[in-house]
Amino acid sequence: MDTKMNIQPASVFPKGYSRRKRRSQTVAFAVFRVLSLFIVLILFAILGFIIWKGAGVLSWDFLTKAPSDGMTSGGIFPAIVGTLLLMLGSAAVAFPIGIMSGVYMNEYASKTGWAVKFIRLMTNNLSGVPSIVFGLFGMALFVKYLGFGDSIIAGSLTLGLLSLPLVIRTTEEALKDIPDGIREGSLALGATKLQTIWKVVLPMGMPRIITGLILSLGRVSGETAPILFTCAAYFFPQLPTSVFDQCMALPYHLYVISTSGTDIEAQQPIAYGTALVLILIVLIISLVAGFLRRYFEKRLKIK
Amino acid sequence: MNRKQILISILAAFCMYATAEAQRIKGSDTLLPLTQELAEEYLAEHPDREVIVTGGGTGVGLAALPEKTTDIAMASRRIKFSEKMKFAEINLDAKEVIVAYDALAVVVNPSNPVDSLTREQLEAIFRGKITNWKEVGGEDRKIVVYSRETSSGTYEFFKESVLDNKNYMSSILSMPATGAIIQSVRQTKGAIGYIGLAYLNRYVKALAVSYDSGRHYAYPSVGTAADGTYPIVRPLYYYYDAAREAAVSPFISFALSPAGQESVLRQGFVPVK
Amino acid sequence: MKRFLERAVKWLLTASGFVTSLVILLIIAFLFAEGAGLFSERVIEDGYVLALNRENTVKELSAAEIKAVFDEDVTNWNELGGPDMAIETFRLEDADDYFTEEQLGPQYENAGSLIAALVESRPGMIAFIPESMLPEDPSLNFIKDKTISPGEVLAGSEWFPTATPAPLFGIWPLLAGTLWVSLFAILFALPFGISIAVYMAEVASGRVRNILKPIIELLNGIPSVVYGFFGLIVIVPLLQQVFGLPVGESGLAGSIVLAIMALPTIVTVAEDAMRNCPRSLREASLALGATKWQTISRVVIPASMSGIASGVVLGIGRAIGETMAVLMVTGNAAVVPTSILEPLRTIPATIAAELGEAPAGGAHYQSLFLLGVILFFITFIINLCVEYISSRSKAKYN
Repeated sequence: MDTKMNIQPASVFPKGYSRRKRRSQTVAFAVFRVLSLFIVLILFAILGFIIWKGAGVLSWDFLTKAPSDGMTSGGIFPAIVGTLLLMLGSAAVAFPIGIMSGVYMNEYASKTGWAVKFIRLMTNNLSGVPSIVFGLFGMALFVKYLGFGDSIIAGSLTLGLLSLPLVIRTTEEALKDIPDGIREGSLALGATKLQTIWKVVLPMGMPRIITGLILSLGRVSGETAPILFTCAAYFFPQLPTSVFDQCMALPYHLYVISTSGTDIEAQQPIAYGTALVLILIVLIISLVAGFLRRYFEKRLKIK
Repeated sequence: MNRKQILISILAAFCMYATAEAQRIKGSDTLLPLTQELAEEYLAEHPDREVIVTGGGTGVGLAALPEKTTDIAMASRRIKFSEKMKFAEINLDAKEVIVAYDALAVVVNPSNPVDSLTREQLEAIFRGKITNWKEVGGEDRKIVVYSRETSSGTYEFFKESVLDNKNYMSSILSMPATGAIIQSVRQTKGAIGYIGLAYLNRYVKALAVSYDSGRHYAYPSVGTAADGTYPIVRPLYYYYDAAREAAVSPFISFALSPAGQESVLRQGFVPVK
Repeated sequence: MKRFLERAVKWLLTASGFVTSLVILLIIAFLFAEGAGLFSERVIEDGYVLALNRENTVKELSAAEIKAVFDEDVTNWNELGGPDMAIETFRLEDADDYFTEEQLGPQYENAGSLIAALVESRPGMIAFIPESMLPEDPSLNFIKDKTISPGEVLAGSEWFPTATPAPLFGIWPLLAGTLWVSLFAILFALPFGISIAVYMAEVASGRVRNILKPIIELLNGIPSVVYGFFGLIVIVPLLQQVFGLPVGESGLAGSIVLAIMALPTIVTVAEDAMRNCPRSLREASLALGATKWQTISRVVIPASMSGIASGVVLGIGRAIGETMAVLMVTGNAAVVPTSILEPLRTIPATIAAELGEAPAGGAHYQSLFLLGVILFFITFIINLCVEYISSRSKAKYN
């Protein structure tokens, strides 16, 4: 990267530019480069610190055992399972509704009508609602009003609604890029609108939709505030048996273990390990999403 | 409307059914580690049972009791008048059991030369009337006061006992949990805070406290708390619905059994007997 | 049959299109229903009264005055517009100091009449006792119990939600703390955010960009509780040492963590805006002999200003609503902040920390929902701003 950058000024500046201009550009670009490098360093500092401290804790037992001895030893298996269940549950809520909503916005609603504007406004607003407000709302509606109590279903619904805007937006964007000619071709062949969407538009948009959905799962996996009052259990070593059970969850477990607990010294490693597992989940998810994106792109090109 | 009601009642019935076996315990974060330990041991003896322990706080536990979303409410303070009235509205007869006693230790940074304080000095410090350690015989350093969150039972008990029911100063640093207080007191030279005896470790220094204007000082320990020489001691409660006594009594009698009380002691709490 | 299916699907899709709007409405409805309840709660704790001696002419006290009286910060009735008498406070817990257990009775059944008699005999006494305990028709005066007023809540500068006899719900310190920490977060994030966005959009080669892009995405993906954990373990002690602060948990720690968290939002949106800047503008500038940097600073950045602005505003929104990381590093002292180096308390952190312990349905519980309403509206307004800014920029190029 450096060599390339060094060559650039000569080619970018034709003869006749003053030295002052040249210098100000060099300085500005250098500043940008340094600041960008700084961000990379921050990310590596955070990741490096947690990996460095947490790697020693990670073991098969840590991943597959329940916490024991007052959470000073043992593993985090129930929290991992709980987080996976919440991801699944929220996906079950957000994916169908989100995809349908995205399809409606792009295929059915008139592009300039009030409905699209209104829905888009509301969707954007919903994506800006702080996660703690979702927590309050989930507690008021699902836990109290509908009487689910603190449970996986209440947590999943809350998290599902939280990730809904993201799902809608990805679906919409994926479908938007499909040329209208393809739709028109399908319709011209006598297919109905529904058939066109089902057989042509959705399959073409699917790669990007799936990538987006996976990324939204990543967001859900790390949320703490929404499940604080709707689902999360401090200690529940068995695995939940129904959707009305509470469950442990990785982000809440990390919060609890790093701020409360009787034996900080014994629990610190568990906290690092939990943080590492959380980050690994996020990393794996974004790697999978990136891989899928590239895979689909390649396949589309070949076609 | 009608359909919704049916749906809800089906869901509710399903909910009851699904969790009928599990013993749900919810409430105070102070009691969490202890109850969790008790639950682990109880489960080791009765592998067929199920116990779910969740925190959230005393308020959450006591609110969950009339809503039937918990079987036992853990409380680090006595039930409030308003909460009792709520129970009375639905004719819930709440039974109270003291499972353990907890001593609150006043802690400072280990580098702090101050070893003891009277209740009056503590009150002045936590109310912001004394702001420098030199006023109580220490170094010339600003006092940084750490407290638990406003609504925790620990906060309220400390307020009742040490502050004589007066309010803390508003600039007090509130920590979401005891662990965070220890972490901060350990890092901060001028810090003072209060934690449950169970949490005491070598990174923070406990102070001797006097409730008789400096005539007798006592260090917090299980011994001094049990014989009454250490003054800042509070009971920890389990509350449960008297109508469901049969369901919860195995666990509660385990908690009060010698084996249970032994783990009370091991966790750094003061046994009931 | 086919037609019917087409119709049904269309309706289903339309309905799901409106789900987000429905959720927004439900959020407003539920938060409001709980939050507005605060203003019909009484100032004095439920079920209790403040009883005075007959001779005392004081009729009304605000919640702040009641707190001052019971904290013994105010010690004479004349400071409150009453007669010149020393104030004596009485709580139920003090009963043991005045009466023996025999007098009170095994179930405290005599307590009410004894306390009433005590207050009757002491002109300066104010007693905080359950209403149900008092004998019928006691010859006592009572402080008039009003409902909590919106003015006291919205402009109040003290947050003491669990104070007895009268809790204080002044949200100003929390609101100020939230805005203060977010402001600094944006000040820190802004230079970085814009530089990285410019670098990625205009300067960096495709290869560098392909490295930076996933890094920014990853920063966005790290859970907030991990940031909080990192802040608690690393940033807080670091700041304490570097600045020699008495406390490490401070607004500064919070705003640094928030700045890192808001950065991806700012970068992504601003970069998109610059990439979408019309090529013709850029080429025109270069053709006129401007350097690349001149083109960027004089043409590209001004042209994509609205996009950059919406990125910044979105970043502010993210910072304001962030909960867990802030809860873990800012120290949560409910005072109106005067410097960024001091601890402060934000609205989201307050909700997360206190909701668990607040008795359900009580004034404290409702006040937390009210905070939720306020938070919701702040972010709502922010989103409308973004909407407005970006609609303007669209209009400009179309």
